[in-house]
Amino acid sequence: MARPSDRRTALWLLAGVLLLVATALLTILSEGGRPARGGAAVEFPRHLRAAEYQRIERRAVLPPLPPRSGPDEPPPTRRRDPLLAALPPGPSRAVVVLEANALRHSRLGELFLGCLGDADARMIEDLRRLGVDPLKDVDRVAVTPEGLAVSGFFGQARWGELFPGAEPAPYGGESTLYRPQGPAGEQLVAGVWRDQLLLLGTGREVQAALDRVEGRTAAAPPLREDQTYGEVYGVLPGEALRALVPPGGSGDLARRLGQAASRVELHADAMSDVAVTARVSGQDAAALEDLARTLGAALAVARVEARAGGDERLVELLEHARVARGGEGFSLELALPAETLERWFAGCRERAGPRRYPAAP
Amino acid sequence: MSALLVAADLLREARSRRWTLALAGSVTLVLAALAVGLRLEVVDGALAATRLFGGSLGSDIRSVDVALRPVFAATSWLVFYGGSLFGIAAVSDLAPSMLAPGRVEHLLSLPVRRWQLLLGTFLGVEALVLGGALYGGGGMALLLLAKTGVWNPGPLLAAAMAAVAFAPVYAVMLGAALLVRSAALSAAAGFLLFLAGVVAGERGAIASAFEPGAARAVFLAATAPLPRLTPLAVAASDLAQARPVAAAQVLGAVRGALLFAGAALSLAAARFERKDF
Repeated sequence: MARPSDRRTALWLLAGVLLLVATALLTILSEGGRPARGGAAVEFPRHLRAAEYQRIERRAVLPPLPPRSGPDEPPPTRRRDPLLAALPPGPSRAVVVLEANALRHSRLGELFLGCLGDADARMIEDLRRLGVDPLKDVDRVAVTPEGLAVSGFFGQARWGELFPGAEPAPYGGESTLYRPQGPAGEQLVAGVWRDQLLLLGTGREVQAALDRVEGRTAAAPPLREDQTYGEVYGVLPGEALRALVPPGGSGDLARRLGQAASRVELHADAMSDVAVTARVSGQDAAALEDLARTLGAALAVARVEARAGGDERLVELLEHARVARGGEGFSLELALPAETLERWFAGCRERAGPRRYPAAP
Repeated sequence: MSALLVAADLLREARSRRWTLALAGSVTLVLAALAVGLRLEVVDGALAATRLFGGSLGSDIRSVDVALRPVFAATSWLVFYGGSLFGIAAVSDLAPSMLAPGRVEHLLSLPVRRWQLLLGTFLGVEALVLGGALYGGGGMALLLLAKTGVWNPGPLLAAAMAAVAFAPVYAVMLGAALLVRSAALSAAAGFLLFLAGVVAGERGAIASAFEPGAARAVFLAATAPLPRLTPLAVAASDLAQARPVAAAQVLGAVRGALLFAGAALSLAAARFERKDF
């Protein structure tokens, strides 16, 4: 039988432990459980996934090009993707491709559409009247400094009304050029291939793109097929990193950034969580290593400063930000979990009112 | 009631001890130094200008209490951190001397339960620390009143916050003294908990420096039961400067500190119950 002092000891121990638990619970509850949520895992786009392999196969509709070096060389058997073929050649040419249809059906897309205003809704409705439903017919949009390439299903499009005043002219085998009337020069020209690909840019660029699509000239897109993963992907020249230096900052730092990184490959998943990977590569391995360390330190400092300054949005943005080293160069990873996105967009739908963007017919 | 009698007895004994005199003397010295050395001519000038030109003097002239905010803030930090650290050093030998052979047997022979003895010691030290902090804070408030004509009870509130923050620290010191009867160990435990409390107060910011995953989870779990002292210090500073205070956050930190003190005292009582003298 336990002695009274043993019973008292046990009671005091129990009280001590319970009070410690109560203190911990109080701490967690008074913080709203926020710090603990940081452990939620976000998957970053680092390679092709099964669905993306299938997507690539579906899109490869162009016949392989004939061999260039001579009749003895075996012809390439790989079919080609017209949108990639249309892109201007060069491994470090800037291009960003948006998987418009996938993005439209993503969580981010839903939230974004919920925030559209009256002017956007009217524009969408106008395009639908002309036979193009931007929420349904557009598959991909590729943005380059030279222009725009849009792939999709444009069988119902009334091109003459979409480009009023433009003169249609057949080009190549299956393309049509829409040139505005008047003096030729740097005017915007539209080119349409098989009602599947719309190209916008200067006349020279659009013609060159159509030549690549139809196989008259060789295509060497800045993105290989195996680099088309994520809902947004692309390539930026290293010069783009200069934008990291704030305006008025050191010009020398901006120059060094541009020199260290010759190419930035961008991939973003956005179906649920938004996860962005920017793969930075360059010739000077030591400079890249220094750049990776600098960015890592800057992220760590920014994270602590944002927390100390109470900037909750920045804290959430930097929560999953990291620099991952390995292979050639390094990757800068940023993520926004879906629940954070929803919180950021919270109230937007209510503010925008009922159904601000028209539903598809 | 018995605990209160023990506390009163401890205060009576403290009056005759050298470190209590040192505590009062140090606080008086700091107050005297401030009284002589504080340059408040700018504030005096602003006051005079206000009297000379009337109420409105344009945007460059700030009210005295706003102009004095840095002084009030510095005072509250001094009272909070300086007072706490000095308090740890000053009271560290109290529990070990209470447990000294000869003394402890006498105390245990009194019609007082062991936990009451422990609680009484804790309350006595808390009263002593509160008295010292209020003396320093109140003295500072009076000093500023005399110098500037502005009454700001902020330093007094900062002193109260310091006393709240000291509760978990001294509870741990008491427990440490029961484990090993050593003033140095007791003080070390107090300093460690004080540091841990400062870390716990910034655990959100510090956690973000850890990679999401096991390391961060361990850090958050380890710091969750600790008293968060930084919010109390910040609240003391804000109160001293008459700035708005996030009441829910401060109340949470106060409750956490008191709960932790209760936990540490309970564990100390468990140890005391089993200890043979």
